[in-house]
Amino acid sequence: MAARDYDPIEFELFKNAIFSIADEMALTVHRTTYSAVLKDNMDYSTAFCDAGGRLVAQGLTLPSHLGSIPEALAAVIRRYGEDMQEGDIFVLNDPFEGGMHLPDIFLFQPIFVDGERVAIAATICHHTDVGGRVPGSNASDSTEIYQEGLRIPPLKLYERGRPNPTLHMMIERNVRVPVKVFGDLRAQLAACTIAERAFKELVARYGREMTQLYMDELLDYAERLTRAALLDLPDGEWRFEDHIDDDGVDVGKPIPLRVRVEKRGDRMVVDWTGTSPQVKGAINNTFSYTRSAAYCGIRSVLPTNIPNNEGYFRAIEVIAPRGTLAHGVLPAACAARGLTGFRMVDCLFGALAQMLPERVGAAGDGGNIGVSIGGYTPERTPFIYVDFTCSAWGGRPFADGCDGNSHMFANMASPSIEVTEAEQPIQITRYEFLPDTMGAGQYRGGAPFCREYRFLEAEGVLQVRADRRAFLPFGLQGGGAGAPSMNWLTREGKTEPLPSKFCITLRHGDLFRLEVPGGGGWGDPLARDPALVLRDARNGLVSLHAARLDYGVVITPGWAVDREATEVLRAERRAGRGPLPAITRERAA
Amino acid sequence: MSWRVGADIGGTFTDLVAISDEGALRTKKVSSSTGDYGRAIVEGLAMLFDEAGFAAGEVEEVLHATTVASNAILEHKGARTGLITTEGFRDVLEIRTLRMPRLYDLRWEKPAPLVPRHLRLGVTERVNHRGEVEIPLDEAGARAAVEALLREGVEAIAVCLLHSYANPAHERRIGAIIAELAPDLPVSLSVDVLPEMKEYERSSTTVINSYIGPVLGRYLNALIGDLQGGGLRAPLLLMQSSGGLMPAAEAARLPVHVVESGPAAGVIGAQALARRAGLPRVISFDMGGTTAKAGVIEEYEVARAGEYSVGAGIMVGSRLLSGAGYQLKVPSIDLAEVGAGGGSLIWLDAAGAPQVGPESAGALPGPVCYGRGNTQPTVTDANVVLGYLNPRHLVGGALPIDAAASRAAIAGKIAVPLGLAPEEAAHGAHLIAASNMIRAIKAVSSERGRDPRGFALVAFGGNGPLFAAGMAEALGMRQVVIPPSAGVFSAVGLLASDVEVHLSRSWRRPVQGLDPAALEAASAALVEEARSRLAAQGFPAARIAVQRAATLRYQGQSFELQVGFGAGDGPDVLAERFGAEHERTYGHRAGADEPVEVVALQVLGRGLPERPRMPDRLSPGATPPPEPARPAYFGRAHGWLETPVLARAALAAPQAGPLIIEEYDCTCLVPPGAVAALDGFGNITIELGVASA
Repeated sequence: MAARDYDPIEFELFKNAIFSIADEMALTVHRTTYSAVLKDNMDYSTAFCDAGGRLVAQGLTLPSHLGSIPEALAAVIRRYGEDMQEGDIFVLNDPFEGGMHLPDIFLFQPIFVDGERVAIAATICHHTDVGGRVPGSNASDSTEIYQEGLRIPPLKLYERGRPNPTLHMMIERNVRVPVKVFGDLRAQLAACTIAERAFKELVARYGREMTQLYMDELLDYAERLTRAALLDLPDGEWRFEDHIDDDGVDVGKPIPLRVRVEKRGDRMVVDWTGTSPQVKGAINNTFSYTRSAAYCGIRSVLPTNIPNNEGYFRAIEVIAPRGTLAHGVLPAACAARGLTGFRMVDCLFGALAQMLPERVGAAGDGGNIGVSIGGYTPERTPFIYVDFTCSAWGGRPFADGCDGNSHMFANMASPSIEVTEAEQPIQITRYEFLPDTMGAGQYRGGAPFCREYRFLEAEGVLQVRADRRAFLPFGLQGGGAGAPSMNWLTREGKTEPLPSKFCITLRHGDLFRLEVPGGGGWGDPLARDPALVLRDARNGLVSLHAARLDYGVVITPGWAVDREATEVLRAERRAGRGPLPAITRERAA
Repeated sequence: MSWRVGADIGGTFTDLVAISDEGALRTKKVSSSTGDYGRAIVEGLAMLFDEAGFAAGEVEEVLHATTVASNAILEHKGARTGLITTEGFRDVLEIRTLRMPRLYDLRWEKPAPLVPRHLRLGVTERVNHRGEVEIPLDEAGARAAVEALLREGVEAIAVCLLHSYANPAHERRIGAIIAELAPDLPVSLSVDVLPEMKEYERSSTTVINSYIGPVLGRYLNALIGDLQGGGLRAPLLLMQSSGGLMPAAEAARLPVHVVESGPAAGVIGAQALARRAGLPRVISFDMGGTTAKAGVIEEYEVARAGEYSVGAGIMVGSRLLSGAGYQLKVPSIDLAEVGAGGGSLIWLDAAGAPQVGPESAGALPGPVCYGRGNTQPTVTDANVVLGYLNPRHLVGGALPIDAAASRAAIAGKIAVPLGLAPEEAAHGAHLIAASNMIRAIKAVSSERGRDPRGFALVAFGGNGPLFAAGMAEALGMRQVVIPPSAGVFSAVGLLASDVEVHLSRSWRRPVQGLDPAALEAASAALVEEARSRLAAQGFPAARIAVQRAATLRYQGQSFELQVGFGAGDGPDVLAERFGAEHERTYGHRAGADEPVEVVALQVLGRGLPERPRMPDRLSPGATPPPEPARPAYFGRAHGWLETPVLARAALAAPQAGPLIIEEYDCTCLVPPGAVAALDGFGNITIELGVASA
């Protein structure tokens, strides 16, 4: 334990205070935002950095933003150095200079006390639209950044408290829904205002010197907690490989993800060397996003009390060669890189499951599927509906995967059907679990759902980013793979399958059906408690046929387990099969 | 003399309070009787009558807050309930919002749905958001669904169809089919429970109404029987989560309103105190054994929230993380809760930093000083080490205390590893507990755009008065008020409440261009319904008061703010009040041409009593004289100070801190630099100096 030259009690009080400000900023964004995607998906983050740009406290919001702020702020500091004045507010979204993808707009406000910079407040919000070729600015089939929308390098949105009119006009002219974008920028500004006031109170209470000392200590403290927790994990090296089906441009060409996790003593390396070169489609990560994925995955196997700050990052080294999917370079398109981030977390879990087989489970649905429907009414009023949705966790070594639950990397919510129908030219006609889609196992995968959208405007654009159609969610320790994702279009009474990633023109009355993939199973399905199989069968999630076929459980017409028949059937099954695979990988035809 | 009785059942204790029309206040704390909650009330009341010298026949009203409904939810012991939905949407209840309350937790489990999937059935029908029928109700299918549920032996059925708030015809028809097939089966239609947009919230609320209805009904019947057996024939009223009272029969019909009744009562008590003492802006602070709760009163009105979750647990660091527990969209007192109480454990984390809670030693084994087997120090142990709590016994001698054990635990587990003296470590733990609780106060004040420095802090609960002055000082608040019988104050609050009816309707219209007559007609219809419900409860027109309100937002925003308005106020008034409220809460408002929309209309109807519910001045029974003084530790700045220990009555003349006021149900701490006095209503008021920050 480090030597202390401060009061441990006062430090604890300081820590409470500064995280409370980060959360208060997040609440401000949450309450004042205009866009449902921001509020429902909590697709925003707030944080404090010290005067030098080190991340001291990040609010508990979007995991996939964890780790993105230091890189963005470094870009601002590189460009402006000491040219930061009281009342300046910096903005950026350029993935090649600090950003993540264009819809994520970063705002930074330096905070001054007696003319000296003492801290920097930071907010990130995912904006509904930043221009480009597809409404929502998140098309997966763009092939270069220039198609994706307005690219903002680090600039001053406000200079000494005065708005930069050139930049405001440029933004206003280049986005489809300026009212929403400026409404959300106002929410970000409001959070910064609150941060400034609260931080100045903090400095008044603790003094400038102690404030800096406590911020330093907060980083060291997080690092100590992280290293102590890492020491408790086994040393070694583990590898895992998985594939994204394709990038939606080179259709049918698999994209490998390869990770090597090395843990020695109190440090950890997450190395993505061997992962695919960057691709044409818009699923390339910035390095910061790859780091976020690593930080999120590893946090999930560490104790929960580690503060969210740069001290936690210090013990974890992330490697990703430039020019790869994990570290795209100009002109990589990256709007839909969320897909890659989710799948990297899952791939990392695949490696961690070998390291910690009693804690980490099989693959879930692969993270959210993006559905955007946009266009113009006959009166030329724009509409944009953006829905990111996911459902199924993989089976775990101690429990089934969750049914109808967000992915670990993005704690998002589904929009209300009734609100959607009142605000958008869309009717949702079905939203329910899909039976017989979960990977079988002693602990089965989570249940996915389907959602059907009927389009009610004359014409519009439907853009979807799904995956796990070919490479199914993997099972572990004998558990089966989950069912693939599917997309269907019903037009004039005819139903046809659609690819996993596409962008098409919709017409009035078209019905789009989305099926989320099922979670992979964990453990031998023949070892599953027959009572749980009965429960799932009773609930219509597992058919009687699948109960026999996958689980060797015979259920009577009166909803009871036929114990005798089940034992016989299970014995037969066990005798007739080979050893169980440690990892069940399936590739659909 | 006539008496009114309040009974507040908590997890550990049942608090009973009786107030006479002349202001005599008598209290009794008895252990809760788990499984048969009514028994503790009946037996405790018998003791109270005995000690206070009055008879059951002199009681004119029994007011009650209970955890029966929330326990039924938390323990999954509600009725076997069926749910009928629009075909294709039976999983809305289980899918919820997809959101998790905790990040980075691989062990997260979603709460199991209160209605399992095989008891959730879809029926073919469709109404759109304008209320137009797109697919007529499949009558035969509806009948088959009801029959299937009846065959499954359900004890209650909930019906929640898409957009039923806009057109309830299909829900009503299904209700009629159920009534025909099973005339005695309790039915909850979502349009009756919550006629508002958002299918998940409406489904969850309607299902909870069905799920707890039979349980609450049985409980109330048994309780009324027991009370009558004890000679008590006075009307029984229940506290709603909103802070208003509701007759027992009404509560049995709409049980969803009485789920969180106990915490609401304390805030209502604080509101009554605020009104009497002339304190328009008050933050209420209620700290017991495991949790602390803060609420806010502004211009004498309590702040309400439109929804909450049962069993969501405490606020761990952030109010942002929703998704836990079971969601209820009913008016409730806006409370922020943190896991800090007398039983909260003090511990060191892996990096050696001192932490307090949220784990608690609970009532059993309780703090180390109770001598019931716990060895990890708690907040109460810290307060014993500091000399704040009586080192020999609590609850008027009923609970012996082992102060040496507290000191040894704090020294061994905390002080030695930190290199501090035991009293320094204990003081640190006291401050950290306070800073955790300050987050609850901020959640209802600064996070809502309200500066806590403009508020007085009204503190109660067994531990609230020990922490209040220190927390107020840290927040820059100037005044603390400790009411009489602070340790059982939630029960006192029951006696201060009015009968209330809360109504709300989805009503989405742009404000710009809104027809004033349409607004008036829509809100007048709600006013009429509130009046008729209160009239049915026996209130003449002259004793019914109504308040109108609307929730609004900028078009495109997904969060609303509520503003009040009067009969005759037009759309312009709504838009202006909304803009002002937005500015006050968030620090900014959009330009005047920014479109604003009404989302819903609300009406609050109050049934007013014939005479004031609370006497002006409360006279608690005499408490035994405590010891004259003991040493107490007030941090490095002050060290150990010989601190006078007083009874409340001794503050008739103002006295400067440090002081300890010891009473039957709680202990109040007045730190150095503060001045305590009694106001004209029996409250202790503590004035604090201007804080340094």
